[in-house]
Amino acid sequence: MASGASPSSSATRSDPHKHSTTSQAEKRAPASKEVAAVIDSLKKKLAADRCISIKKRIDENKKNVRGITQSTMRSCMERGGGCYKDGSDLLVKRQRDSPGMKSGVNASDADKSNNHSSFLEDGNASSTTMVQGSSVPVKISLRPIKMPDVKRLSPYTTWVFLDRNQRMTEDQSVVGRRRIYYDQTGGEALICSDSEEEAIDEEDEKRAFLEPEDFIIRMTLDQLGLSDSVLEELANFLSRSSSEIKVSATFPCLFLARYEVLMKEKEVSESGDNQAESSLLNKDMDGALDSFDNLFCRRCLVFDCRLHGCSQDLIFPAEKPAPWTPPVDENLTCGANCYKTLLKSNRIPANGTTEDKTGTSSDGAGTKTTSKFSGKLNRKKTKTFPSESASSNEKCTPETSDSENGVQQDTNPEKVSSLSKVKASGRRGGRKRNNNRVAERVSRRTQKRQKKSEASDTDSIATGSRSASDAKHKDNEDATSSSQKHVKSGSSKNSRKNDTPVDDSKNSVKGDDPVSQLNAVASEPCSDGSLRKEEFVGENVCPGGLSEDKSWRPLEKSLFQKGVEIFGMNSCMIARNLLCGLKSCWEVFQYMTCSENKASFFGGDALNPDGSSKFDINGNMTNNQVRRRSRFLRRRGKVRRLKYTWKSAAYHSIRKRSTDKKDQPCRQFNPCNCKTACGKECTCLLNGTCCEKYCGCPKSCKNRFRGCHCAKSQCRSRQCPCFAADRECDPDVCRNCWVIGGDGTLGVPSQRGDNYECRNMKLLLKQQQRFVLDAYRKGDKLKFANHSPEPNCYAKVIMVAGDHRVGIFAKERILAGEELFYDYRYEPDRAPAWARKPEASGSKKDENVTPSVGRPKKVA
Amino acid sequence: MSKITLGNESLVGSLTPSNKKSYKLTNKIQEGKTPLYSVAFNFIDARYFTCFVSAGGNGINLYNCLEDGSISLLYAFADEDKEEEFNTASWACGVEGNPFVVAGGEKGIIRVIDVNNEKIHKSLVGHGDLVNEIRTQPLKPQLVLSASKDESVRLWNVETGICILIFAGSGGHRNEVISVDFHPSDKHRFVSCGMDTTIKIWSMKEFWTYVEKSFTWKDDPSKFPTKFVELPVFTASVHTDFVDCNRWVGDFILSKSDEILLWEPILKENSPGEGTSDVLLRYPIPNCNLWFIKFSCDLSLNYLSIGNEEGKIYVWDLKSCPPVLVTVLSHNQSKSVIRQTAMSTDGNTILAASEDGTIWRWDAINKEQAVTVEAQPPPILHQYRRREGKSQLK
Repeated sequence: MASGASPSSSATRSDPHKHSTTSQAEKRAPASKEVAAVIDSLKKKLAADRCISIKKRIDENKKNVRGITQSTMRSCMERGGGCYKDGSDLLVKRQRDSPGMKSGVNASDADKSNNHSSFLEDGNASSTTMVQGSSVPVKISLRPIKMPDVKRLSPYTTWVFLDRNQRMTEDQSVVGRRRIYYDQTGGEALICSDSEEEAIDEEDEKRAFLEPEDFIIRMTLDQLGLSDSVLEELANFLSRSSSEIKVSATFPCLFLARYEVLMKEKEVSESGDNQAESSLLNKDMDGALDSFDNLFCRRCLVFDCRLHGCSQDLIFPAEKPAPWTPPVDENLTCGANCYKTLLKSNRIPANGTTEDKTGTSSDGAGTKTTSKFSGKLNRKKTKTFPSESASSNEKCTPETSDSENGVQQDTNPEKVSSLSKVKASGRRGGRKRNNNRVAERVSRRTQKRQKKSEASDTDSIATGSRSASDAKHKDNEDATSSSQKHVKSGSSKNSRKNDTPVDDSKNSVKGDDPVSQLNAVASEPCSDGSLRKEEFVGENVCPGGLSEDKSWRPLEKSLFQKGVEIFGMNSCMIARNLLCGLKSCWEVFQYMTCSENKASFFGGDALNPDGSSKFDINGNMTNNQVRRRSRFLRRRGKVRRLKYTWKSAAYHSIRKRSTDKKDQPCRQFNPCNCKTACGKECTCLLNGTCCEKYCGCPKSCKNRFRGCHCAKSQCRSRQCPCFAADRECDPDVCRNCWVIGGDGTLGVPSQRGDNYECRNMKLLLKQQQRFVLDAYRKGDKLKFANHSPEPNCYAKVIMVAGDHRVGIFAKERILAGEELFYDYRYEPDRAPAWARKPEASGSKKDENVTPSVGRPKKVA
Repeated sequence: MSKITLGNESLVGSLTPSNKKSYKLTNKIQEGKTPLYSVAFNFIDARYFTCFVSAGGNGINLYNCLEDGSISLLYAFADEDKEEEFNTASWACGVEGNPFVVAGGEKGIIRVIDVNNEKIHKSLVGHGDLVNEIRTQPLKPQLVLSASKDESVRLWNVETGICILIFAGSGGHRNEVISVDFHPSDKHRFVSCGMDTTIKIWSMKEFWTYVEKSFTWKDDPSKFPTKFVELPVFTASVHTDFVDCNRWVGDFILSKSDEILLWEPILKENSPGEGTSDVLLRYPIPNCNLWFIKFSCDLSLNYLSIGNEEGKIYVWDLKSCPPVLVTVLSHNQSKSVIRQTAMSTDGNTILAASEDGTIWRWDAINKEQAVTVEAQPPPILHQYRRREGKSQLK
C-alpha cells in the first residue's frame, strides 16, 4: 500500500505540470506532444527513483532507530532495577498507594458521555484535588508542596561578548529570514530583503541546474535529438517546474549550452581530471585583491566592517612611505633556504685581505647571481647595440650608470680575479662580518671611483645614496646587499674567466638550480672568452631566467611585486610574509635578481637596486596600479554599493539625515581622494569635514586637522585643539600627548580606555538633542549602565579616527566597584516614571522596584 | 528553502486515517482553570513509565496512569509566586537514580524538584527570559537543556545545579528558542529550533570536558567556568515560519511548523557549518497554526501524536513511508487547543494537555473492539489564520 501511495503523491505533484505542458504542446506542434511524453516519462521515473530512495533511507533509519530505542529502553530498565534494592523509594510507594481517579467518562460510550463529573475543584492551580470515582466522588486532597519564591532576573537577551558586537552589528541576518515592514502610508506589508542580492541569487539559482534537471535534459535530447521544438518544450517544462512564470527566449539556448556542458563533463569525467589543486594559485592577484579592497575596511582594519560598509572608495595616499625595513640584524638568516645562507655556502671562505674576500665572495656568488650580471650584461648590450634598447627609456640613466659601475669595477677586480683561484680552496668567514665588509668596501670603492671619475650625475647620486644608507642603517644592508652584489658582479664575471671549473663544481652541488646549470654549461665551452663570453652567458641566462619564471604563477608574481613595494629588495621578508609556503627565500632572491633584467616585468622599468631610485620606481609603479585598480573597482563597485544599501541603512540614513541639515556638528567623514593638496573640489571640504589621516591628500594638506601639541595628559581643557574640537587625540596626528606607553595613571591613556570601551555603541546623539541612541540590540557592556539623575559619568560625542563615537567619561572620582550612572537625558514628557527627576515624579527611588516597561528611547 | 525542486520532492501523508490502531477516551481530569502547557511521561526510569508530569500555571503535578484507565495524583507542587507560569516539565534523575522533575516557565527559573524528598533540589537561575522547553539527555539524565526566549539554549547539570554551556551568540538563534532535543545516541549533539524559523544542530564535543567537570564540581555553581558555544554545526531552514517543536528520529529530524517534516540533515564532513537538508516526508496537520503546539512520540518512535487548535489529536505512524495517519482522536467536549500530547513508552496511552486545564487520557483498544473513536473526516484546511501568541489565548 505504501508503494501504491507514493506514485499517487508524486502524481499529484506532477499533474499540473503534465497538463500544462501537454496542453501547450498540442497548441504548438505535433512533435511537442512526443517531447512532452518523453519528458513526462522521465519525470515519472525521477519521482519513482526519489520515492525509492526515500524509502530506502527511511528503512535504514528505522533500523538505526530500533537499535537506539532498544538501548534506551535497556538503560531505563537498569535505572529502575538499580534502585529496587531499597524499597524506600517514595515515588514507587506513592504509585502503589495513591487512589486512582476515574472520571465519569465511560469507556464504552466515550463519545456520548458528556458530563464529566470529576474535576479538581479548586480553580487556582490545584491547591486541592478532588477525585471522583465513576459514581461516588472520592475526595483526596493533596496539599501542594510549596516551592519557595526565587526572584527572577530582569528580562534581557543573553548577551555574549562577540567581536561582532564591538562594531555595529548588521541586524539579525539569518538565512531564510524575511523582514516584514509595514508601509506607513499605504498600510501595506513589504517584505524587505536585500533586493539586489536576492535577485542575483535567484538568477544564480535559475542557472544552476540541479542533477535531476540535468538528467531530464540529457535524456530528452539523447532520445529525441536536438531540435528547436524539443528545446522549447524542455524550456517550457523546466521553467514551469521551477515555478518561473515566463519562458524567456534565452532558455532554449541555455539548455543547449547546458547540454553541451554536460556532454563535455562526461568526457572530462571519463578522462579524469586532476588540475583542481593548482587552480587557486593560478588566480590573479587582482581578483583576490578585489575582494580584499571591497571587504576590508581601511579605517577599522577589519574585514566586513559594519560601520563603514563594504566597497568603500579606495583611497591611496599621495605620499608613499619608504619601503619598510625590518629592525632585524641583517645577518640573521630567515631559514634553511635563506639566500644569505646559500650564498655563503657557495662562497669559498677567504683567508686573504679584505679585498680578497670580496673578490671571493663575489666569485662565489657569481654562479648564483649570474642572472644579475646578465642583467647588467643586457644593459651593456643595450648600450652597445642601441637597436635592442627599446625596452627601457626613462630609466635608462640609472641603468647606464649601473652598468658603468660594472665597467669601472671591471678594472678594479682584475687582481681579485687572479687571486680568486687561490681562494677557491675554501675559506670560511663570519658571514656577518663578510657582508659588512663587503658593503663597506663597495661604498669605499664607489667613493673612490667617484673621486676618480665623476662618471655622471646619476651615478654619483646612486653611490651617494648607497653610502648614506650604509652608514645610517646597517639594517638596510639587507636590502641593499643585493645591489652591492650587483656591483660585485662585474668583478665576479671577470673572475669566472679564470675559474670556471670551480664554478662548475659548485653548480653541480646545487643541482636544483636550472639557471646555474645552464650557466655552467654555457661557460664551459668558452672558458677563454672575455667580453664575448660574458655576452654569451648573458644570453644564456636570460632563457634560463625565463624558464624559471614559468614556475612562478601569476599570483606569486604579483605577490612578489607587492612584496617589493612593501619591503624593498628584501627576499627574506618577502618570502616570509607573502610567499610563505610557496617560494623559499632563495627562490625569491633568484627571481628578484633575475627579474631585474627583464625590463618588461616591471612595466618598462628595470628595477634599479639602488635604494633611492627604487623608491621612485615604486612610486611610479604603485601609481599605475592605483589607477588601474580604481577603474576596475568603479566598474564593479556600482552594483556592490547598491547591494549593501539597506544593511547599513539604519546607520547611514540617519547619518545622511544629520548631514542634510546644515550647521550640524555631526558630519560623516568620508576620506577624500585628492592626489595633491586639497583644493576647492576636495570632497572633505565640500562636506565640511576635516581631512583625516585616511584621506589620500598629502600631509601638508591645509584642510587636515593638525592635532595638538599639548604635553602628555594635558589635553583636558579647551586649550587643547583636539579637546576643543571634540576629537580624540590621535598618535598619528598629535605630537606629544601620546608619549609612548601610557603608564595607566591618569590622562590620556585611561581616557582612551574609556572611549574604546564604549566605542561600540551605536552612536547617534548630539548636543541639540536631536539624535537618539537606542542600544536595544547593539552596543557593548556600557549599554547596561543605568540612568541616574545624579550621575557619576557623562556621555560625550567625540570624533575617534574619523567616526563619531559616544564616550562615557567620569564626572567625578569613581572607586572600583562603584556602579556607573549617566544621564539618559530623556525628554521631560517622554521620560518613563523611573527616569523622571525626583522632583517631577512624586515617588522617587521607585526605579529600583519596578522594572522598566518597554524601552523608551534614550535621548542624549 | 521550502521550494520543492524537481527530484527533491517529499512524500506527503494523506489525511485519511488508516485506523490501524484506535484509541478510546478513558479519563479526563480537570486540573484547574489555568491552561496546561506541558505533559510528559517518564522515559528515564522503567519503574516510572506510567508516571507523568503536567505543568501549567504555577503548578507542577505528578500523576500515575493506572491500568484500568484511572489516573492517580501523586504529588502536587506549586510555586509560591503566583506570577509563575510553567511552560514545560521534564523528567530527569540524579546520579543515584532518584527521580527529578525539571520545570521552567515564565520567570525563566528552572526548578529541579527532588520527587522523593518532596522538595526543591535546585533552582537554576540564569535565563534572561522565559523558558520554553526543557529536555533531558536520555543517556545521561542529569543533563538537561533549556530553550529560552532570551535566544539562548543552556545546558545544565541538575545534580549540581551548574550551567555548563550556553549556546548563543554569533551563530545562535535570532529570536526565541522554542524547542530542543538531544540526539538519541550521540551524546554531544542536539537540535534546537525557534521563532527565527531555523533549526540548528549543535555539538558540545569540544566542551565535553566541562560537562564532565560539572559532575565533580564542589565549589559554588556560579563559579563554574560556563562556556559559550556560538557556532552551531548546522543551520537548516526547512520551514518558512516559526518552528516550535523538533525531535530526533535516529539521524533524521522531525520538526513542526504549520506541518511536520521529517528531514535529513546532510552535513559536510570537513566543512563545519555547511550542509544541506533533504526533506523526506511531510505530515500535514490541519488547524495547527498556533505556535506552541508540541507533538510527542512513544519511546520506540513508532507513533507521533499532536493536538491541534480544535482539540483533536492526530496520530501518525512514523514507520510507514509515505506517512500514514493512524487515527484522529476527537471528542465533542474537547474544543480548546491541545498544547502538548504525551505518548506512553509503548504508545498505548496518549495524554493531551489542553488549554482549558484538562488532561485527557486516551488508551489504545484492541482491534476487535472496532472503532469507537469517531474518525472524523479531516477538516478542510482553513485559510491561513494569523497566529496568536499563546498568551493572547489565555
